[in-house]
Amino acid sequence: MFRNNYDNDSVTFSPQGRIFQVEYAAEAVKQGSVVVGIASKTHAVLVAIKRNAEELSSYQKKLFPIDEHVGIAIAGLTSDARVLSNFMKQQCLGHRLTYGRNMPVRSLVDMIGSKAQVNTQHYGKRPYGVGLLVAGVDESGPHLFEFQPSGMTEEMQAFAIGARSQMARTYLEKNLDAFAACGREELVRHGLKALKESLVQDRELTVENTSVGIAGVSKAEDGSTKVEPFKVFDGQDVNAWIESVADNKEGGAAEGEGMDVDG
Amino acid sequence: MTSIGTGYDLANSIFSPDGRNFQVEYAVKAVENGGTSIGIRCKDGVVLAVEKVVASKLLKHGANKRIATVDRHLGVVYSGMVPDGRHFVDRARDEARAWRDTFKTPIPTADLASRLGGYMQAYTLYQSVRPFGITAIVGGFDSELDTPVDGEVGSGPKCGAGGKGEGKKHGGPFLYMIEPSGLYWGYYGAATGKGRQAAKAELEKLDLSGSGALSLEEAVKEAARIIYVAHDDNKDKEFELEMSWISGADGPTKGKHQEVPKALREEAERLAKKAIEKDLEGDDDEEEKKEGDKMEE
Amino acid sequence: MDHRPQAWGRPRDDVYGAYDASYLQNSGPKTVTQSPVVTGTSVIAIKFNEGVVIAADNLASYGSLARFTDVKRLRVFLDSSVVGFGGDVSDMQFLDRHLNELAIDEAYDAAEPTPETPTSPGTLNAANLHKYLQKLMYRRRNDFDPLWNQILVAGLDAASKPFLASVDLRGTAFTSPSLATGFGSALAQPIMRKYAATEEDAARLTREQAVDVVKECMKVLFYRDARSLDKYSIAVVTKAGVELKENEQLERQSWAFAERIKGYGTQTV
Repeated sequence: MFRNNYDNDSVTFSPQGRIFQVEYAAEAVKQGSVVVGIASKTHAVLVAIKRNAEELSSYQKKLFPIDEHVGIAIAGLTSDARVLSNFMKQQCLGHRLTYGRNMPVRSLVDMIGSKAQVNTQHYGKRPYGVGLLVAGVDESGPHLFEFQPSGMTEEMQAFAIGARSQMARTYLEKNLDAFAACGREELVRHGLKALKESLVQDRELTVENTSVGIAGVSKAEDGSTKVEPFKVFDGQDVNAWIESVADNKEGGAAEGEGMDVDG
Repeated sequence: MTSIGTGYDLANSIFSPDGRNFQVEYAVKAVENGGTSIGIRCKDGVVLAVEKVVASKLLKHGANKRIATVDRHLGVVYSGMVPDGRHFVDRARDEARAWRDTFKTPIPTADLASRLGGYMQAYTLYQSVRPFGITAIVGGFDSELDTPVDGEVGSGPKCGAGGKGEGKKHGGPFLYMIEPSGLYWGYYGAATGKGRQAAKAELEKLDLSGSGALSLEEAVKEAARIIYVAHDDNKDKEFELEMSWISGADGPTKGKHQEVPKALREEAERLAKKAIEKDLEGDDDEEEKKEGDKMEE
Repeated sequence: MDHRPQAWGRPRDDVYGAYDASYLQNSGPKTVTQSPVVTGTSVIAIKFNEGVVIAADNLASYGSLARFTDVKRLRVFLDSSVVGFGGDVSDMQFLDRHLNELAIDEAYDAAEPTPETPTSPGTLNAANLHKYLQKLMYRRRNDFDPLWNQILVAGLDAASKPFLASVDLRGTAFTSPSLATGFGSALAQPIMRKYAATEEDAARLTREQAVDVVKECMKVLFYRDARSLDKYSIAVVTKAGVELKENEQLERQSWAFAERIKGYGTQTV
């Protein structure tokens, strides 16, 4: 491994103004299995590939509900993710208790951003080794955010993080214009198709290794917003979605729907 | 850099034998890689602008703001490490709130700059922390009017907030730039980040201190143009322009720090692009000069 | 001779008995405001079909002395809600400053207002604000350090429906088509209930009717409440925002009824 004098801790700048410890933490995110998120005008979805340590073990969860209106997808150190997840749950609960409303997703994401930044500026601390996609709905509609160990948080239209996620991002970039108008089902299918791009050769989406999370929002007639709470789907509940993006169907149904969007 | 390998640059707060703190200098390097930020102080307000390099097509357009409001009448923009900048803005907001708790009045721009300068400087003093990887530009408009004391219920004291003397001129637009060392100066025009050299050259051409000083709306257009000029060197990457402004109570923002309205920003961008094109046609020889400058560095 | 500081300047124990030292203990809860000092009287409010009318007079009393006569007890929050304060005026000022800071914080995260959405989504509405104040007041009560106020919050809720609710120094909170604090709960509430006993009644009231009812109630309060004033503030909150008038004068007063009142003051009959 290439070592240098400037990569021992997160309080030392390299002569180029870089902080290697933070960059290494970002590498930990790339070790995690891939997760994809997309936001439309009405929904925010997360999809993920779960891994199992061995044939007979269970699969590590990748999607977690935070509050009624928010959920996260994680890539990297799961135990670090739990620290952030617990923190986010507390903040949402506290906000609901004091104001009686869903916490705005941006405020929530900004808080974990600030929390993570502190770990990059003080000796004896280390950056979080996990990246998140945060999907949720609030009074201003659906949102998708990316969170990095550096404390960087950005709102995205769609994004993917984790192992081999570049292929998923390429798919997302190609289909970017279609997402805004997508309905719930269509958005999930786009997510799964992006996910497939990042799969290793010979691997398939199965009911065991695939997770889907959805939050939605709709305007009621009296002007109030109706929230479809964030819910995670696993196992048989994702079967229909997986089937609908199966390779042999790609040419038929899926393409047809793509046309609908364009028109 | 001859200092590398001598060991004096491995920890913060360490002086080298010739009296330098290398970690602070390296922090400045982080700033120099960031998107260009500028601030213009003109006679009736302040304009802040930043070049946001679009790292990914998947980013939501216009959703990720880089210019932050502090209290109601102050704006902060920064170049360098964005998470550091957000921490810095959080601190600025805490300072503004603490000032209100104590004095029951909005914090003057000069006092905010002073406190933030002190905060930055504190991060150069200890081995247990690293300096901020940002240079921040702080703009504000201190009210020229007698404003009520916070919480005032009746007619209140005749002298107004902070005990303003009669017949004296108070308030006005202010602009400061704070560096990773904690050093800060007041400016008429300030620039930092990747394109600061080009931006400074353009700022120096503006009449910001003289009697024929720029109007706020002209300053918005100049700010847009300068960001476009400063961007010119790295044509390859796309960028988004974000601008904010602050006027006095009788101006367009009524003493508040606000984003420049979409219509005005788009007009400013249109003019900026036009000006750039004209420049490119006009002077090929100047291009050569720039190349020459670089060689010397 | 007892030289302990507690005994300095005190009557002799052997003559007057031991001093009750329990007053000097510094264990037990910290207490600050144990009684109000400068006070405002009633705040009254009523809902109508598309908003809320709220009013309070401009007096701050020092006991029975009409001490300050230009005190504004209606406060606008984020251009979309009005908070009316009865009770201690210094605690009201504290809350006003606190809400000002809350409003500044809230504006940091709010989207920029556009011509289409002048009140941007994601800002605290009156219902959110009331919930916040209720938690604040209840917490202070549990600290044995209450903010000595009765508060009405007027505005719109998440569905843009008229919202009116109260919270007091104990954190007690409730809502009703019409509400009044202090003396107003005895004198103004019965009158307002004649016009809006239920939410349905309130939804049929027009703005003009609601304003007239409130003005009538302010007049009755001035007739009957000795800690009141004929100068008052009145605000109307609707979707369009807040219209606040702070220097209103009660009009068409008639004190003819006063002649028939017997049994008070220096009357000898």
